[in-house]
Amino acid sequence: MRNSFVGVVVALSAALICAATASAQTQTPSESSKSPASFDPHDLSGVWMQDRPRMITVLQRYWIYELTQEEPPMTAWGEAQYKAHKSSYGTHSYPLAETNDPVYGSCSPPGFPRAFFHAFPLQIVNAPGEVIMLFEWDSVRHQIFTDGRPHDTSLGPLWMGDSVGHWDGDTLVADTVNFNDKTWLDRIGHPHSEALHVIEHIRRTDHDHLQDDITIDDPKAYTRPWTGRIVFALKPKWTLAEEFCEDIHSFENIENQETAPAK
Amino acid sequence: MRNHSALAAAIALSFCMAVFAQTKPQAEAPKSAIVDAPHDLSGVWMLDHTRPLTVVERFWMYELTAEEPPMTPWGRAQYDASKSSFGTRSYPLAETNDPIYHVCTPPGYPRVILHPFPLQIIQSSAEVIMLFEYDSVRHQIFTDGRAHDTALGPLWMGDSVGHWEGDTLVADTVNFNTKTWLDRVGHPHSDALHLVERIRRPNHFHLTDDITVEDPKAYTRPWTAHLDFLLHPKWTLAELFCEDQDTFEDIENNEIKPAAK
Repeated sequence: MRNSFVGVVVALSAALICAATASAQTQTPSESSKSPASFDPHDLSGVWMQDRPRMITVLQRYWIYELTQEEPPMTAWGEAQYKAHKSSYGTHSYPLAETNDPVYGSCSPPGFPRAFFHAFPLQIVNAPGEVIMLFEWDSVRHQIFTDGRPHDTSLGPLWMGDSVGHWDGDTLVADTVNFNDKTWLDRIGHPHSEALHVIEHIRRTDHDHLQDDITIDDPKAYTRPWTGRIVFALKPKWTLAEEFCEDIHSFENIENQETAPAK
Repeated sequence: MRNHSALAAAIALSFCMAVFAQTKPQAEAPKSAIVDAPHDLSGVWMLDHTRPLTVVERFWMYELTAEEPPMTPWGRAQYDASKSSFGTRSYPLAETNDPIYHVCTPPGYPRVILHPFPLQIIQSSAEVIMLFEYDSVRHQIFTDGRAHDTALGPLWMGDSVGHWEGDTLVADTVNFNTKTWLDRVGHPHSDALHLVERIRRPNHFHLTDDITVEDPKAYTRPWTAHLDFLLHPKWTLAELFCEDQDTFEDIENNEIKPAAK
């Protein structure tokens, strides 16, 4: 993450000014009252970093490696997958030399929603007909089309899935399917199949906070749909940096960095 | 690339600009052609091939210019050691040492431009971002007046800052690592690589990028290339990770054919 004052601040204020001006023109000029914290609920743009209001899990680890603290309700198949996944994190962590984490061995794309659980910021940008999350980690993107298109399953199984969304009031509802089965759902090795269906309710609860309620629906891996909430804090002075998996040379470095509290 | 109707890019921004325009006198309203707001480069763009084709009847461009760039002895030695599977001196697929194909490392900049997939430009007043379909990499040009940040260590895509000179975005990129090739035929660069791009939208449907490559270790003098891009209003980016291209044969077979829209 890079610090830059002007960047996001200017971008956000420009967007706000434009939006405010645009709407003001159709309204009476009287109501130009804007508190400093005012925001357009449909503008999610900015650099966001996961905020951790939940209880810390075991091992005094600072970062969150999974979506919820409660164990998700795995099927027998899901449980078998989970047992076979030797994560270097979490309650059943393996020594680094023994992990079979698909990201660390070959630097394959982390996939979605796993990319959320790497300890780096994301940036949301708006383009016409789409809302895009750019992840600092490994440069992956979660591209949500909001132009009314249906899912496009002709693309073959995807690492990040195929996402379409629509606004339900102030909430962006994003629906993602068409995943490959090469990724873990999170960083401790919870499984998913190609039947994974992720539903997100993304909402800017105030100017400085974003929340994403994520429902995991995968009948092959889980006995019922289950949900988790991720809360993000706006980082107006940050911009994304380059952070490719290839540059992290040893797993030890990763672990050492991540057990330290975030700046 | 995915087809879908989304010309809204220009429309949204023009609308925004139109709002500001209301404060101006009402006289100047050109109607016929699509008029973009100044400095609006947004959209999905695909490399256009207006230059004469190089040898071997290959359809795609694998390098920045048809002319051989002026290499230093060090640069020439690097180039000779690069066994590309493309271009005039292509090696059999089994023998290539192309850094991308065996281990799927990031293609780096500017090489990624030469992979035959579209890019999307997204922008705000503080940055212009090129999102590449190929391998999901991004070329993020900060236009907020910041200086280069060399504290980040050598980068695959470099560190880019830019400013507007009239209608031209001038982007300056440094701080590269030495793990990438400059292009797809194996032209070299060192960590002294310095790119200056002059990016302009001469009309609604065209974008040009004049790139100056400066790298005194690899080249005897700075040299330039001109790239043309065509707007594809109905395309959106798809997912295209290197990891999904299972065989080198597939890659070559796909790329010697013209693009299917």
